[in-house]
Parts: sequence; structure tokens; C-alpha cells
Amino acid sequence: MIGKISIIAVTAAIFAAAPLPAGNSLMASHQSVAVAKSPLSVTPDGEWNKLGARPGQNSESWTMDGDALNEVIFYGGIADGKKLFREVDKRNKPLPAFSATMLITDIPVLLENSYRTALGTPIMTIDSVEPHDFVGHKGVRFTYSFTHLNDDLKRKGEARAAIVNGALYMMTYEAPALHYFDKDAARFRQLADSAKI
Amino acid sequence: MMWHKTLMGLALAAGFAMPGPAVAAPLPTYTPAYEPTSVDERGIWMEADETERQLRDSNLVIRDAKLNEYVRQVFCQTVGDDRCRTVRIYVMRIPQFNATMYPNGMMTVWSGMLLRVRDEAELGAILGHEFGHFELRHSLNGFKARRTATDIMAWASLLAPSGVGTITTAAIGSFYSFSREQEKQADLLGHQYLVNSAYPSASAARVWERLMAEADATAAGRKRKSTQRYAAGFLASHPTHLERATYLRDVAAKAGDQGDAAEAAYRSRMEHWLPEFLADQIKLNDFGGTEYLLGELAGGNWTPELLYARAELYRQRGNPRDLVSAAQFYQDAIAKGFSRPEGHRGLGLALMRSQQTDHGRAALQHYLKLSPDASDAPMISALVAP
Repeated sequence: MIGKISIIAVTAAIFAAAPLPAGNSLMASHQSVAVAKSPLSVTPDGEWNKLGARPGQNSESWTMDGDALNEVIFYGGIADGKKLFREVDKRNKPLPAFSATMLITDIPVLLENSYRTALGTPIMTIDSVEPHDFVGHKGVRFTYSFTHLNDDLKRKGEARAAIVNGALYMMTYEAPALHYFDKDAARFRQLADSAKI
Repeated sequence: MMWHKTLMGLALAAGFAMPGPAVAAPLPTYTPAYEPTSVDERGIWMEADETERQLRDSNLVIRDAKLNEYVRQVFCQTVGDDRCRTVRIYVMRIPQFNATMYPNGMMTVWSGMLLRVRDEAELGAILGHEFGHFELRHSLNGFKARRTATDIMAWASLLAPSGVGTITTAAIGSFYSFSREQEKQADLLGHQYLVNSAYPSASAARVWERLMAEADATAAGRKRKSTQRYAAGFLASHPTHLERATYLRDVAAKAGDQGDAAEAAYRSRMEHWLPEFLADQIKLNDFGGTEYLLGELAGGNWTPELLYARAELYRQRGNPRDLVSAAQFYQDAIAKGFSRPEGHRGLGLALMRSQQTDHGRAALQHYLKLSPDASDAPMISALVAP
């Protein structure tokens, strides 16, 4: 009996010691929550799933049905000289960096070039760019479409961004053009409207 | 005097005759509508057929009939109508330098390659090389070599589980050197097609020389050492660019064939796609390589389109000095007759970002006047508003 207990204790200790991969978690509705380990916060009016895996240091992913079907990415204050997300191949395929001197019109281009490099896809276009306030600052709202190299599925995206004190705050929403994009676009817009810093 | 002239004439005639109209080696006999014969080969063809079915519907395929027809025409002029007929060419929108050949006769040609070759002869050299793989049935032999190598490794690990190192290494090495040998064979057969065509075979070496220089420029632009290799490594599947350039130049000098590389024709047929291919290239975040490539394409003659591309490249890197250069390039492009409204847009944004707000605003207003319905017009209007 004693032996058994000690084995359980040891096993528990081993598991406790090992760093657990950050799990996915449910984001409750109508509660303000800080995102992307940053001053950025949002108040969802429905439930969302937060993914444990982060695209980069200053970002965070939320989804309804899985990140391949709909994904919201928060970028919480990308600093001057930093990349939007983690680089796959820093040596041969370096991502473009955000610069504090960028005009707001450079942000869609930054996202496009980062995607083209990271996804290795030449099929990515910015479809519309218009002024739109974001996190209480003058910012931009833009739409885009792209296709991953390996699945040939047409995806649509919508984003809002603003440069505040030399750092980039942005939210993007992406989903397959067929059915999924329209299904949750309104929920993304609600989330984006609620964003504050 | 008279005598002199005659002598000169003789010398000239001799001069031309000296290298001799190199007798082009006849091409190997070609079997049209070849059907796979062995089990291995049928398997490989079946896989390639499946790949082709998927690739045919891919979003990456450029479906412009004129462009496709032109690429095919150059290919046919290189390898001859008999050989050309069996091949399906797919022009893909991928901004890297490549072309691929599948064992069932499907060929892909990447837009990054169309951007980089300078004339029909260079395009023909690449397409001929790819077709060489097909004609020599390299996929089949490669598959067999790969299987032999893995068989050896499997047996080796079974027989001597602890000491397989050398056998495995030797087997892997033999596979890659086999692959390098195939590349060389395809290069040489490609050369033979060119010698037999109206294009000069000297073009082939130039492509590899420029690729080397571009790779060096990319590395320098990223502040790292050149990875250019001057000898093929143990695991290299292709000979180095240098090796290729060297032996291709040698055989071309021996063949001594002349011909029209059709540079002007190539340029005019690519004109429609040039802005698109340049835009794809600029978005690759490769300042050094792109700057080199643009310089090569210009060759001292900066057209409005190339100036605009260069301006975009500099504006995207966006250092204060880059913005000054960019503004200058936009102005040069416009002065030389760049007609698309984006010229004024780029100029305006470059000036705005380098804090010359009034001039920037004026250029952007000009853009809005030329292109009031542009997809970014609302945003640019907001930027212009005081």
C-alpha cells in the first residue's frame, strides 16, 4: 500500500514538474479580458476559444470552430523593428519588420508581405483599405484574400489596426470564403469594436 | 592595294570558316506517345497523372492563353515539334526561379523564371534542360536508384545493426551523386537541343552566372555570408551553378553555333505580365537580390516600369535615405512616361513618410484625381485631409 502511494506521489511530482503546454481555454462572454499579454483588452458578447499556441510573442489566437475555419489574431503592440509573428526560417525567409515611422497605409502591405513570406504563397491581395478608428485612435480597416500554397482553399480576411505610441495594435479575422467567413464576421466586428487599450 | 583587299577578304573568310560550322550532333531518336513499360514506371506515371489532375485546377496556374501559347512556342522551337507535342506546360505564378518536369510529360514553368530569363534562347535552354530529364527517363532511374540506396540501408541495418554508418553514408552519397550526374546529362542534352535550334547555345551558361550573382546579392542584402558553393556538397542534388556555367560555356564554345536569341521579341511578349511578376518579386522581402535583379533587367536602360518597381522596393524598406531614393525613382518613372496612377500614389506616400507633407499631399491628390475609385481611395483621402 505504501509502495503504491509513493509511486502515485512520484508520478504526480514528475507531471507537476514538467512544464505543461499551455492549453486552450474558453473565453467567457460579457467579460473584459486582456489579450496578447498586452494592454489590449476586448469584451466578447459570446463565447470564444483561446488557443494555447501563440503566433508570436505579442499575439494571441481565438477561434470558434478551429483555427483553420475561423481565427481571430490579436497583435498587442508590436514594437519598432519587430516582426508580426514568429519566423519559420529566419535565415532564408526573413519576415519584414514593423517600423514606428510607417504610415497607416503601410500596415496592410506589412501584413501582405509577411503572409506571402511565411505561407510561401503568391496568392494574396489587399481588397479594400479605408479609415476606421481602432482602440480609440485613428486607424485603418482593410480586407484581403489569400490562399495557402498546399490546400488551394480561398480564404478571406478582415483587419483593423492603429499605431499607438509607435507600436502596432491590430486584430485580424480570417476564414474560408465559402460559408465560414460570413458566418462569424459580425462576431469579429463586435469584438473589434469592443477593443480598448 | 587590290592584293591587300583580296588578302583581307581571304583572311576574313578564313576567320569565319575557322571554327567551322560545327556539325550539330544529331538528336537521339525520339519515341512519341511513349507508354510506360515496367511496373515501376507505370507506378510513377500514375502518381504523376494524379498530381497533374490536381495541379491543372490549382489557383496558381496562370491561364492567360497568350502567355501559355508563347512559352509553348519557344519550347517547340527549342526541342522541335515532335518532342514538343507530347508535353503539357503549366505556367505557375510562383516568384522563384524554377521549372519542373514530371515523368508523364507534364512541365511546370514558374513565373519567377520568366521574370529572370532575358530572351527566348535562355528560356529555351531551361525548358530544354527540363525536357531532357523526361527524354532520358530520369524519374524512373532516380526512383530505382533511391530504392536501391534504401534497400542497401535496410539490409545493412539488419545485418550489422551497430556498424551501418559507412554503408549507409556510401549509399546516400551514391544516390545524390547519381542525381547530380542526371542533372548534368539533362544540361548537355538541353545544350544539344539549342545547337539544333535557331537559338545560340551560348545562352545557357549566362542564366547560371546571373543566378549566382543574385544569390550573392540576396545574402549581402541580408547581411550574411554568401552560401554560394563552388563545389557540390555531399548531399547536393544539383551541380553548383558555377560548375554548370563552366561546362555549358565549354560545350557552347566548342559547338560555336550562332543564332538570334530573340531578346526584343521576348521583352515585348512579356510586357503585359512584367508589372505583375515584378510586384510578386518586390513583396518577397529580399532587398539585395531584387535590387540586383532589377539592375540586370534594366541593363543600363531603366524603363518606367523598372523605375517604378525600384521605387516600390526602396519605399518598402523605408529607411530615411530609401524614401529619398524612392521619391526620386517615382519622379523619374513619371517623367519617362509611367502612366499608371500608382506612380503618384507611391510618390505621395514616400514623401509623406519622409515628412514632406505638402508635396506628398499634392501627389496623393493627383492620384485620387486619376483613380477616384481605387480600392484604397477612402484611406488615401483620409490621409490627404488636413
